[in-house]
Amino acid sequence: MTTAALIHVVVSGLATGSIYALMAISLVIIYNATRTLNFAQGEMLMISTFVGWAVYQRLKLPLLGVMLVAVVGAALLAWAIERAIIRHAISATHFDVLIITLGLSLMLRSAAGVAWTHDDFPFPSFFGDRPMAVGPVRLAPVSLGIIGASLALMAALWALFTRTRLGRAMRAVAQNQRAARLMGISVERVYSASWVLAAVVGAIAGVLIAPVIFLSSKMGIVVINGFIAAVLGGFGSMPGAVVGGMLLGVIENLAPLYLPSSIKHSVPFIVLIAILLLRPGGVVGRVARRKV
Amino acid sequence: MRRAALAIGALALLGWPWAAPPYFVFLASLIVVNAIVAIGLNLLSGYTNQLSFGHAGFLAVGAYTAAIVATRWPGVPVVAPLLAAALVTALVGLALGIPCLRLEGLYLAMATLAFGFVVVEAILNLDWLTRGNDGLRVPVAHLGSWALAGDRERYYLVLPVGAAMVWAALNLARTRTGRALLAIRESEIAAQASGVHVARYRALAFVVSALYTGVAGGLFAFVVGFLSPDAFDVFLSVDFVAMIIVGGLGSVPGSVVGAAVLTVLHDSLAGFQNYRPLIFGAILIASMLFMPGGIASAFRFLKGDRV
Repeated sequence: MTTAALIHVVVSGLATGSIYALMAISLVIIYNATRTLNFAQGEMLMISTFVGWAVYQRLKLPLLGVMLVAVVGAALLAWAIERAIIRHAISATHFDVLIITLGLSLMLRSAAGVAWTHDDFPFPSFFGDRPMAVGPVRLAPVSLGIIGASLALMAALWALFTRTRLGRAMRAVAQNQRAARLMGISVERVYSASWVLAAVVGAIAGVLIAPVIFLSSKMGIVVINGFIAAVLGGFGSMPGAVVGGMLLGVIENLAPLYLPSSIKHSVPFIVLIAILLLRPGGVVGRVARRKV
Repeated sequence: MRRAALAIGALALLGWPWAAPPYFVFLASLIVVNAIVAIGLNLLSGYTNQLSFGHAGFLAVGAYTAAIVATRWPGVPVVAPLLAAALVTALVGLALGIPCLRLEGLYLAMATLAFGFVVVEAILNLDWLTRGNDGLRVPVAHLGSWALAGDRERYYLVLPVGAAMVWAALNLARTRTGRALLAIRESEIAAQASGVHVARYRALAFVVSALYTGVAGGLFAFVVGFLSPDAFDVFLSVDFVAMIIVGGLGSVPGSVVGAAVLTVLHDSLAGFQNYRPLIFGAILIASMLFMPGGIASAFRFLKGDRV
């Protein structure tokens, strides 16, 4: 295996890894606010991408418009779900909310199948197909584009979390809900905002990845890799989610080169089981101690 | 009163194959199989609060073990493949349960989910043993010279096994072990402080749960007669979780009722494949929002107990 080919594999791994990272960030945003995992995150990504695509089919909008439609659709969907369903389970255990989001994911996937069938659809891409040559290395523009766009989005999120009132409120709620409430932060509004923000990140990830993996009702399964990425980086940590996503993408792309191809599909799961057993706090994190 | 009700119930179950058309006998066998899985899952989730999304994996291990044993040694009494299924699945449960002791909540749910995927991939890859994607035909079960070839005969194989497992589970709650498991569910740290060896009991719950599911898997193999890996996907695991949620966490009768309700529903929606997950998802959400204790809590409410 030449170095050039290896670089090519690593870069496309970083591209899928960016998507995993965005998915992981979505999960972590909701987890930090509400301490529950949103199983339906992948299905919300899928629905919002479909909504963007449906509008594109009708109106032939430019791609940026498609992304905007997907983002708005995702925000509305997340807001409605949070207000109509999740908010009512606010006093329930995390277990209950997990089951509710599981039910949601079944419903959303099924609804997408009813509305748009379970087929694969090609999705327009922002980036061309012609590989770019950088010295001896050939790189796919779509990989570089996904990595670039994801990094830009991550930077925007970083700015949101450190520079705005909303971001600070979200971080405060993540640290200590009661203290945050006493400081005058509306925890309920932070819940809503977290769902909306997570869905928006998911919608952007969906529009970026759909040209590569095709648009289909099954694309929501990416949530599992997003979760694995979040665990890899230490669940709850945003920088961890980014590192974990990139790491998982690269491992997933490199593994088939060195392992029998038959276990290719199991790689993310083997990574998950290994990390949970060896370092449950993530590659960089620590395990939080429990109290009675 | 109680005895009379039990006797009538037993008679109804025994007489069912003579009253119902063959397809409904098959469906009843399937309900018993699913009820055993639901009880096994409930022992884990309802008793020790360890959520599993990988029970389809255990079911697959049990089913394939029974099928392979019955194929290798034709004519062996059906007890042998079932015992093999129970033993192998329990060992797999131990192998998964011990490392999973370190995990809880979301992490455990995800690790078991991963386990389910890995089992399906393993079945696909071990095709010299499992025939991979082609599927595995399960030979007819034998008990001495009696071949259990029809739906009715198979029902009479499944029913007593199911009854024994229900009886065992009902009694477990009254034993020292059962109380220890319930104590762990209420508070792990408090249980530990009261002298319950938490790790040992959590591992035990995993093994017993896997054993139940393994037996169910063995029965499943003989009831359906044909195994293919795509039957054991993650959605089956989700169905099992739905059964115990709808039936009631921590309740043995609830598990049986939940299994019956969802199996019948699954079957009656067979013509509406596209809408099935939509309805199942809605049921899951509704039962969590409006009836978190499941059907079992509705029974308790009707009997006048305080919920």
